[in-house]
Amino acid sequence: MLFNIIKRSFINQKKAMAVMVIAVAVGTAIAASLLSLSMDISSKIAKELRSFGANILVQPKVTALAGIAGQKRYLDEKDLVKVKTIFWRHNILGLVPFLYVEDEVQGVKVVGTWYKQPLKVPGEKKPFETGISNVMPWWQIQGRWPEKNNEILVGADLADRKGLRLNDTVQLLGKEFVVTGIVRTGGKEDNMFVGELSTIQKLSGLTGKVSRVYISALTTPMDDFAYKDPEKMTRKEYEKWYCTGYVTSIAKQVEEVIAGSVARPIWPVAQTEGKVLNRLKLLIYLLTAVSLLSAALGVSTTMIMSLLRRTHEVALMKAIGADRIKTIIIFLTEALIIGLAGGIIGYILSFGISQYIGYQVFGTALKQRFVLLPLSIGASVVIAVLGAYLPIRRALGIKPAVVLKGE
Amino acid sequence: MKIIRVEGLSKNYGTTTALRGVDLEISESEWVSIVGPSGSGKSTLLNILGGLDYPTEGKVFINGTDINSLSEDELAVFRRETIGFVFQQSHLIPYLDATENVMLAQYFHSIPDREEAEEALRRVGLGHRLHHRPSQLSGGEQQRVCIARALINNPSILLADEPTGNLDRKNTRNVLELLKTLHTQEHFTVVLVTHDPYVAEWADRLVHMEDGKVISDEPVSR
Repeated sequence: MLFNIIKRSFINQKKAMAVMVIAVAVGTAIAASLLSLSMDISSKIAKELRSFGANILVQPKVTALAGIAGQKRYLDEKDLVKVKTIFWRHNILGLVPFLYVEDEVQGVKVVGTWYKQPLKVPGEKKPFETGISNVMPWWQIQGRWPEKNNEILVGADLADRKGLRLNDTVQLLGKEFVVTGIVRTGGKEDNMFVGELSTIQKLSGLTGKVSRVYISALTTPMDDFAYKDPEKMTRKEYEKWYCTGYVTSIAKQVEEVIAGSVARPIWPVAQTEGKVLNRLKLLIYLLTAVSLLSAALGVSTTMIMSLLRRTHEVALMKAIGADRIKTIIIFLTEALIIGLAGGIIGYILSFGISQYIGYQVFGTALKQRFVLLPLSIGASVVIAVLGAYLPIRRALGIKPAVVLKGE
Repeated sequence: MKIIRVEGLSKNYGTTTALRGVDLEISESEWVSIVGPSGSGKSTLLNILGGLDYPTEGKVFINGTDINSLSEDELAVFRRETIGFVFQQSHLIPYLDATENVMLAQYFHSIPDREEAEEALRRVGLGHRLHHRPSQLSGGEQQRVCIARALINNPSILLADEPTGNLDRKNTRNVLELLKTLHTQEHFTVVLVTHDPYVAEWADRLVHMEDGKVISDEPVSR
């Protein structure tokens, strides 16, 4: 009988029911798409944020004695490729080494680095692209990167100070160089000469050595747990920390493979990324909640309108013996059916919406997640039931004596 | 035995007084007509007897139970177990057919039984209209469906509020004859509110109300 009542009620109020199903479906579709986005956003946005530069700095470990003696220490260039062997190797998107030396005759600093250097990673077919071009893409070169071992760039501020121009020649480290470009980096390199790493290593007698390495890694935003001191963690906590892509745990793993190094997060970058991601996620969750709430309001309004048309029907049911439970069951069952139908339709719609968002915002598709199906249906049922709350309360408050009055 | 006992019943709607200290007793299987002009309080009295409304003062005992002490859900149980309602307008669910409308009362009472519902409709002369929607039935036929629905759970009291108010004389007679037959067969108590003297005279007893009070209570002479 209940099935019959519900079935006939749906057939009899096709438009109202369709409006409610559409409200739930649209709300669920938007919510599911946003949730899908929130699941992908970390990796997508983190990739975008990598253009802000490296987030890990690797330097030689200064031992106590070396520190006292002021002795300079270096990292081995051959170790650099090992960062692609750590647990989070796929999250290492780029690296760039720097070797800083001083030309005491000219009283200037010279830095050797890579502009674009493919590294052969054992066991990998594709070479690992490293260098300024992918880690510090904001470097502006007027002219071109040195291609021969007698070519060099000059930092923009240094060029101004010394009056150097393109194709001028300079004596550096006992060799004559041609200026092939003027570089603006926004950093201290604007006051240095910048050359190809191997050239500078050779001329300074530091073959195979680098002063520091900047690494760009995809990371998981830092949370309270991530800030815990690994030294004080239990074994289980340490394992969890080590196997989560926090900037600190990746830095730790880098440190383990580069001999004599100390790797530290570049906090302004790492923290900004975390904050941006967390705020974006919060924004998405708020939008999700708003879309679900709007859908619930849509259902509620339509159901109240429908109830107003059915006041006589409800009053009559109560007059002939419907108690509160049976009245609630009728409206709740309708709401559940609306929720189920809306959830399934909404989930299907979310495929299209999330792909659209993915292509519009990130230029690639978002991952299809089947875990969102039960979540969508659950959410839409909750929307429909929430939406039905006010109408049900109203239905329970209907006074048959007033509505069915014949006098 | 008195199935209905009303003591000092009053009902106010804000500043309007609908009932003023009504006392009334109705015996089992009795057919009582309550008559009076519009606004005399007869429908209010019927609603309170059926547990659809609460009095401001006074008590209503049905089968010895003070129904005003019952909760809303207990009143719902009381209505479906004890009372059958027939209203002036044939309040039927428009999207259910005649049989399903009768089954609705069964559903709220216990378990719907299609055969029993169809049999009830045959008894009120609607064997040929079992699967018709209310909109496909005449006014008289709709009231017959309401009677079948009101009696499907074997109530001990049938409360009818102007049941023929919307019918012509011929249909009025048909409905009353049907009620009389069923009343004779099943011995339920009938409390019928009307302002039509022709309808009122089908009762065993006539209660006349005016301005919220019972002004006369006498048997109908035939």
